[in-house]
Amino acid sequence: MENVLIKTENLTKRFGTATAVNGLNLEVKAGEIFGFLGPNGSGKTTTIKMLTGLLEPTAGSAFICGLDIVKEPAKAKALLAYVPDQPKLYGKLTAREFLALMADLYRIPREISRQRAQQLLAMFDLENRADELLEGYSHGMRQKVILAAALIHQPRVLLMDEPTVGLDPASARLLKDVMAELARQGATIFVSTHILEIAERLCHRVGILKEGQLIAQGSPEELRSQVGSSESLEDIFLELTGSAEHDELIKSLEGNGR
Amino acid sequence: MNILPPPLTQAPPARSFWQDFRLLAATQLRLTRNKLRQWRLRTWLFLALPTLSLLALLIFLGETAYGALETMTPEIGQGFLSLLFMAGVISSIFFGVTAAFASLYMSEDLELLFVAPVSTRAIFAVKTLSVAFSNLLGAGLFIFLPGLFFGLLLKASVLYYLWLILITLGLLALGTALAELLNLIVMRIVPPHRSKEAVGFIGAISGIVIALLFQIPNLIMSSGVGLDLAGWLGSQQQLLQVMNWFPWGWGALALVSGSQGSHLVALSWSLLTLALATAVFVPAFLLVERGFRRGWISLSQGGSSRKKAKARKIKPAANGIAPVRAWDESLALASPIHGMWAVAKKDLLSIKRDTREWFGYLTPLLLMMFFVGRALFLPGGGAEESLVGILIMYTVMFSGNMALQSFGREGESSWLLNSVPLAGWPVVWGKLLAAVLPTLILMELLLTGTAIAIGLPPNIIIAMALGAILISLGASAIGLFYSINNCRYNPDVPQQRISFGATIMMFLINLLFTGLLALCLVYTFPPAPLMDIIQQLPPMDFVWGFPETLLYLVCLLTRPLTWAPALRVIFGLAVTMLVWAAVFFGFMQATVRQSRKGFRVQLATSFKKR
Repeated sequence: MENVLIKTENLTKRFGTATAVNGLNLEVKAGEIFGFLGPNGSGKTTTIKMLTGLLEPTAGSAFICGLDIVKEPAKAKALLAYVPDQPKLYGKLTAREFLALMADLYRIPREISRQRAQQLLAMFDLENRADELLEGYSHGMRQKVILAAALIHQPRVLLMDEPTVGLDPASARLLKDVMAELARQGATIFVSTHILEIAERLCHRVGILKEGQLIAQGSPEELRSQVGSSESLEDIFLELTGSAEHDELIKSLEGNGR
Repeated sequence: MNILPPPLTQAPPARSFWQDFRLLAATQLRLTRNKLRQWRLRTWLFLALPTLSLLALLIFLGETAYGALETMTPEIGQGFLSLLFMAGVISSIFFGVTAAFASLYMSEDLELLFVAPVSTRAIFAVKTLSVAFSNLLGAGLFIFLPGLFFGLLLKASVLYYLWLILITLGLLALGTALAELLNLIVMRIVPPHRSKEAVGFIGAISGIVIALLFQIPNLIMSSGVGLDLAGWLGSQQQLLQVMNWFPWGWGALALVSGSQGSHLVALSWSLLTLALATAVFVPAFLLVERGFRRGWISLSQGGSSRKKAKARKIKPAANGIAPVRAWDESLALASPIHGMWAVAKKDLLSIKRDTREWFGYLTPLLLMMFFVGRALFLPGGGAEESLVGILIMYTVMFSGNMALQSFGREGESSWLLNSVPLAGWPVVWGKLLAAVLPTLILMELLLTGTAIAIGLPPNIIIAMALGAILISLGASAIGLFYSINNCRYNPDVPQQRISFGATIMMFLINLLFTGLLALCLVYTFPPAPLMDIIQQLPPMDFVWGFPETLLYLVCLLTRPLTWAPALRVIFGLAVTMLVWAAVFFGFMQATVRQSRKGFRVQLATSFKKR
């Protein structure tokens, strides 16, 4: 198994005349938590969808654990897990049935999957409602079920799109601990987020995407030295993505508020 | 964190297509089982009614067809089977498009399944199977059952039934494949964010077609002319010969040959039908799979492709920053009429932009067309006056019904109207405006159009048009009152916005309202027989006692009928307006009061809670 678990080579996606992702070159190593940042519509979700095999690239390639996601999808998908931004589940399955289904889809023997499902349900505090239909779950609870389902097959690569949305503080903290533990065990976490505090405190490296192009990547410290300031990641992000032009407006609003 | 096992170092062994297929099919079955378990008793009961109606229709059509088959020559029998098989394929396409749209485009599990290490072919095979399954009823009714009865009638051999199964499967596959191909076009046209709306739209069209189909026996019986199928088919020789060029014609040829013992010919036609079905099915299946994989069909849960609205330019200030105003006291003085219009506009836009809403207006239009057509073209279809009566009654019921939808339309967004400083009359009058405007335009057009078509005098037409406005407003006010007190929202059926009991109550109150108005209008337009009786009534003095008082009151009420015509007409109009105003303003006031207290949209579900 190679040390680089996620790799893209000139990855491009066009929808008609619009280019969503433009020649993306990226490498994420084992044991790394990679934060994927960018303004709305910058191409983050499209990139993740290409990495998961949900979308075929228009040009270029994406590799998961050295396997081309387009040429060897089944092998690559067996090693990854995806946590979408919207927890869409089968409303007519219970949480336990859903975890059993996911384990079956990822070819885990029944006796192991039952035990692991029980452990994950307990970990995410879902045990008491495990036999209720998912349609009755709140957004946060569904998100927890998705997270449990993502972990059931011991993924080597975890792709997460805004995973903390809808989670209560305790669950968000648990998620961060899980991410750190998985990285410590050698898994790769690729997380797209708007919460820069997560990126700053949890990610080993971050990449900033703007209009489909990777405009910066490196550890938060490296980005600071690139920009040449000791500002927060939020300031660096705003400066790099051109959102700093709103500063004057924000200041004028603050002035009005006083 | 010690419960987290270490990540995999190697992918687990691969699985075959069939293993994936079985797993996904089992999941689909489990979902269906869980769904059926959650159905309430009343859902089953509601289902029983259309099932019984369908059975009745089938028995009627079956009897007609079976009787006709007995009198047909083999050639005409073959043509009859061709026509039925064609209907089977068309029904498979029609219902298949809806099913394919729901199970492919609307599917919420595709993203989840695509990420899992299962073959995409297996995913689409299960989805296609579920589309084919939803077409089973059409194929059974129009292909298998007619073929079965044809075989039984001609005492065909066992082999005949093998050809019948092959033909049924072939035509079912063909219909399903064509439905999936058509659905590809629909998926390219409908943007993802309007997919739910599109399913409602397609479902409503299906409902109307089915409703019209159920009118066939009624029309045949009303026409008083028996249905001579054999005679009609006999005169359509050319059409029947053309059928032999199509797969449904091949199916009929196979069965007729099979019934006559020419099994080699039957086998050839059956295989040809199956081969064509495969030739259409395989590319359709591959095209759907490739479409989703390549991304030229977006998943419905993906980003929408809404048109970008033109950005409105805000005049920049001198320093180049758009002006942002702090709270301005003058804003508080803005007229509540702005709020009323905002509420009305919001509802009107919602009606305009949600195609499912149109069916609320389209259904009465179609039903009325049916009534008008029947009155105009069928002998003894009904008197013209009674047609106008039906239209007026319909205005009442339709207005009330559309107003009933008003507050339920807020759905999960009801917090908004409850939290803005508009509660009270701006909200209620805004809702009234939105409910009344489209209804009134439609019903006025229907009423005046019909009145002109059947040749009513202009003064009557004007009176009717004015009356319709008052009736519509009154009925809508009643509808609004029941809407605000009984609104509900069902995420599974977004158009179900009111409780059944409230609908019935609203209809009863509206009947009472119409009855009262009709009674008051008797002073203005007195029927001649009543006037004759009134003229002959002796003068009456008041005497104590319950029946005597009641009788005296009735006499008192009839007294204005004896007045001079001008006085009588004015009195009649005044009383009618008084009753109308009491009902209209009374119900509006009650609704405004409830709006000030706040309204609650009850969350309804079609399923039992577990």
